[in-house]
Amino acid sequence: MTQRAFAITLKIPDNAAYTTLTTLQRLGLPVARVERSEIWVVEDGGGAEDFAARMERNETIFNGNKHRLTVLEAASPRAGETWIEEIGAHDRARERRYVGWRLLGNDGRPADADLLREAAARLLCNPAIEKAHIA
Amino acid sequence: MTKKIAVLVFPGTNSEEETLRLLRACGGDAHLVHWSRAALLRDFDAYVLPGGFAYEDRIRAGAIAAHDEMMDYVIEGAQAGKLVYGICNGAQILLEAGLVPGTGEVRRPTAAFTRNGPVPHFVCTHVWMKLAIDPQRSPILRGLERGALVPAWSAHGEGRLAATAEELRALRDGGHVAFVYAHEDGSVDDSAIPNQAALGCAALVNRAGNVLAMMPHPERDGWTFHHPDRRRGNAMLEPSGGAVLFRSFVQAVNA
Repeated sequence: MTQRAFAITLKIPDNAAYTTLTTLQRLGLPVARVERSEIWVVEDGGGAEDFAARMERNETIFNGNKHRLTVLEAASPRAGETWIEEIGAHDRARERRYVGWRLLGNDGRPADADLLREAAARLLCNPAIEKAHIA
Repeated sequence: MTKKIAVLVFPGTNSEEETLRLLRACGGDAHLVHWSRAALLRDFDAYVLPGGFAYEDRIRAGAIAAHDEMMDYVIEGAQAGKLVYGICNGAQILLEAGLVPGTGEVRRPTAAFTRNGPVPHFVCTHVWMKLAIDPQRSPILRGLERGALVPAWSAHGEGRLAATAEELRALRDGGHVAFVYAHEDGSVDDSAIPNQAALGCAALVNRAGNVLAMMPHPERDGWTFHHPDRRRGNAMLEPSGGAVLFRSFVQAVNA
């Protein structure tokens, strides 16, 4: 079994990401763009070459009419991204699910760790029930 | 002089009409205030946050609404001692805003009403809530008898109180658990809890007692015709049952 990770994003307008952007801006954070993903980390017994195609056949998590699937190079947040984990959700699960929030600053560059930590603490993560992962 | 109660309407709120109606039936001078007219809230004496799905529960239930301009006025009012009552999604917003339990900073939540257990499904069921603190602890509850049982409907997918073990101890020891789930005879055990809420909690109150966050909907059992066995008499259009909480709230606002 090989651990593989993928991100599912909307290819239609993401209203939740937009509302999150405007709220972060209201909080005074220098964010110009927010990208939201559903992140899955799974133990896979198949090959890498058809991994994406096999995952896309799972219609409970993927709908080709509105989703785009991206296979990730590693099972960890990308530059400018924080993964929000629901505490306790993975206790008995073999697959792990996160909500990924990727923030881009006013200069178009991925947010640095300090900005991600602040965004998580002030909006994206409720520490009573969630944990924020930052690369 | 009768004081003015605002019933807040965020985009996605869906219980404002029945909340407004019962507040008025209990003597309250209640008015709807929509998010686009937030500044009106400054002139109100108390705030009620009804149920629904404010901002579609984007990020988490209540997370976006907690940062809405309307909450600027609610937070300012609560800190000045105004009474605030949140029901269901309104309760989730108050926790995200940090007003309840109020053990941390404003807008830095220390607890949450989150995904139900043991199975994370939406649950709609009739419940009884038992007053678990001295009614004198909160002006909102002073119209209730000690140990009062209040009927309501639980209708939520995310109503389970969750927090760290340390925070839960603080909530219990600090008298923040205002209501627990109970059976109709007043007995309390795990089988009365519809969502595996920690401490069996149905409602939390802040330290000062002026902000109450309640997951079940008493306004959906606030009239005689609402109750399934109709044992409350024949006056079908009379406020009853859960209306006791609304009467107590209105009395406190007008005191």
